[in-house]
Amino acid sequence: MEYIAETIKEGIKVHYRNTKKYKTNLVTVFLTVPLNKQTVTKNALITSILRLGTKSLPTQEEINKKLEEMYGAEFNCGIEKIGDNQLLKFYIEVLNDEFIPKKEKLLQEAINQLLEIIFNPVTENGSFVRKYIETEKVNLKNIIESKINDKDQYSFERCIDEMYKDSPYSIYKYGYVEDIDKITDEELYNQYQELIKTAKIDIYVSGDYNQDEIKDIIKNNPNIQKLPPRANIIEKQNVENDAKVVPEINSRPQTIEEKMNVTQGKLVIGLDINDDNKYVLGIYNAILGATATSKLFQNVREKASLAYSARSVYVRQKNNIYIRCGIEINNYDKAIPIIYDQLEDMKKGDFTDEDIDTAKKTFISAIKAIQDEQDEEITYFISQELSGEKPDFDEYMNQINSVTKEQIQDAANKISVNTIYFLTK
Amino acid sequence: MQIIENSIVKEKIYIEKLENGLTVMIFPKQGIQKKFVIWATNYGSIDNKFIIPGQVETTQVPDGVAHFLEHKLFEQENGTNSLDTLTALGVNPNAYTTTDHTAYLYECTDNFYPALDELMNYVQNPYFTDENVKKEKGIIGQEIMMYDDYPEMLVYMNALKAMYKNTPINIDVAGTIDTVNKIDKDILYKCYNTFYNPANMVMFFAGEFNPDEIVQEVKKRLTQNNQQGEIKRIYESEPKEVVKKEIEAKMDISIPMFVIGIKEDNIQKPEEMVKKHIAIEILLNTIIGKSSKLYKQLYEEGILQEELSTEYEFSKIYSYALISGASNEPQKVLTRILEEIERLKQNGIDEEDFNRNKKMMYGIYVKAYNNIEDISKMFVADYFKGINSFDYIENYTQVTKEYAQKILEDVFKEEQTILSVVR
Repeated sequence: MEYIAETIKEGIKVHYRNTKKYKTNLVTVFLTVPLNKQTVTKNALITSILRLGTKSLPTQEEINKKLEEMYGAEFNCGIEKIGDNQLLKFYIEVLNDEFIPKKEKLLQEAINQLLEIIFNPVTENGSFVRKYIETEKVNLKNIIESKINDKDQYSFERCIDEMYKDSPYSIYKYGYVEDIDKITDEELYNQYQELIKTAKIDIYVSGDYNQDEIKDIIKNNPNIQKLPPRANIIEKQNVENDAKVVPEINSRPQTIEEKMNVTQGKLVIGLDINDDNKYVLGIYNAILGATATSKLFQNVREKASLAYSARSVYVRQKNNIYIRCGIEINNYDKAIPIIYDQLEDMKKGDFTDEDIDTAKKTFISAIKAIQDEQDEEITYFISQELSGEKPDFDEYMNQINSVTKEQIQDAANKISVNTIYFLTK
Repeated sequence: MQIIENSIVKEKIYIEKLENGLTVMIFPKQGIQKKFVIWATNYGSIDNKFIIPGQVETTQVPDGVAHFLEHKLFEQENGTNSLDTLTALGVNPNAYTTTDHTAYLYECTDNFYPALDELMNYVQNPYFTDENVKKEKGIIGQEIMMYDDYPEMLVYMNALKAMYKNTPINIDVAGTIDTVNKIDKDILYKCYNTFYNPANMVMFFAGEFNPDEIVQEVKKRLTQNNQQGEIKRIYESEPKEVVKKEIEAKMDISIPMFVIGIKEDNIQKPEEMVKKHIAIEILLNTIIGKSSKLYKQLYEEGILQEELSTEYEFSKIYSYALISGASNEPQKVLTRILEEIERLKQNGIDEEDFNRNKKMMYGIYVKAYNNIEDISKMFVADYFKGINSFDYIENYTQVTKEYAQKILEDVFKEEQTILSVVR
């Protein structure tokens, strides 16, 4: 794999990924800051305002026309949460020059355009354009309120919320409706300046290009040149369990039930894990609920016919597992004991070598597959970057292959239920 | 073997029609680890009434059989489930049902041939019992209920209901809890035997493959060698006009969602489909795309905050365009779009807008070749419409502004337009 990272100024890194697999070149810029209640909403608002206009192309219409002229370059931005960090993500995807009628240096143009959007926004009276701030406040409110549209995702977020009450990880990546109106234009612009001065900046360029040429383009870009070096503000992902809610001994686990007009009940169970071997836990999770042969899928769905979806997800950065099922509302009392049985079976070592083998194969296959997806590979790179680990696929696969049954069973015995969340009618 | 090459995306497709009627398509892609295989039959949710080859009388089955079969084929007589077997091989199996086809697939990096054994084994060997059919009803019931909680699904299904009276795209691919309950093992066998004949199917391979080798390996694993006659599919005739102009539903959501549907009153000739599809994509973008004047105005007036998404869907028996999004004033969005269409009809499409949008479509068609999963699904879906996916890039230059203007007149009619809202 051809992957090189280079720090061009302290706190600003460019990551080059040379590959001929795609018709496109993809440039992604992440601004990463610690999740913080005071700034989270402002940062989300800033992100959506930036896409609306630059000094040279001050309206969305002009930016979009320009992108369409570049054979429909795809540009977008969004907010991600990885561990205790908020990431402002901006990307642009353009055709490789080899696939357009005549050579146009599209990648160079795309990089400059993307940096212009992030670092050189149109301003008026010492802040962003008034009208843009107004409309994007409404837009952000809609985004935050639309959380309830996807009941599955909503339930998942709510479980995390309850489990991590008062700790940064519970903060919603788009922020809070009640904070939006309070933000003044001046505060917002000050936060923007603070952001571009202090955020960890990572620029990923993936595709088929001449590295030296692209390096020059980035280094000589006036927007990059005016950025100051910055100290590393990103704490390594801490996985301390004490950040979580600790339910009273006699009320463990905490159970939360919420009502909404749903047809199907959404059950989310958050687990406490007292083990930090991520490879072992990845395999544990695969056996428990991440494949079609997993315990949850087999027993909750296939045998008991209680659910269409029954699975578990492992959140690596926070070392946490969540069990997620969509069940008929009346079946709650049937589903819970079956789920608990699966956790017990894992503790007793009631799983076969074949289960482990399947989990490993699934994992290895997924790791290999990441390398054939331009965007997913970058997502993998940035999460490795933030946890201070080298993006080494071979090492990852070796670690997975060396996991033993004893390790899995040992981990299983350090796992308990923290929170049961149920969205019902 | 037929080889079709496209010089723009620099890719090739190999096509072989076997003696038993099965079409095998291979899309070699070098330098990647992933491999992707789809085995699909031309049988979807709209095929509920048909004449079995060799028979005279019409067979009618409940809604949702194609999807039910998709669930049930994985189950084997020896008690194993092929989904499990494939998963144990470390490959990633899946299946899906659309209006006109059902597809079985897997993606893998290793164990390609053992997985092919399993795929070709389970698709060719159904095993249905009263008991395993009954159990599946519980799971499918949960699947249908899960979709009931998605406002996007409701607003979309309602749009189809407002447009179509008799064409069975107005019901969910899975059917309803009631129709699913009517399905039994005899119905499943009858439909399986009719539609899972090699002559009605296509296999698609994408990844680092040698085409000749693949054809041999497929032949080795085929058990059905008789080519059956033509299946006569019976579709009720569909009135030209829409069912109703507006449809509304309620749900717990933050901001109303809407879908504007434009039902075509004229089904196109197959040879014109690709060209027309390209023109309609360009037109939708000209009318309300992210660089359009109308989007800019609606955004500035606070009626829209987010870009709308647009699509054009068609098969041999229906075709419609959709514009969907979220707004507190869906009615106003509709009115303004209709006005804009009228204006474009009167004043003509702007040359610059047309060329820019056309250039964008070029990018979209080329980008479609980035990922083998997308490539496979695209070629299979197009195959059942009688289209070779390369045709989009090939025909792109033929779409002129004059042609688009004509399509605008033909397709975008106010009386054919409906509004579906969920609030």
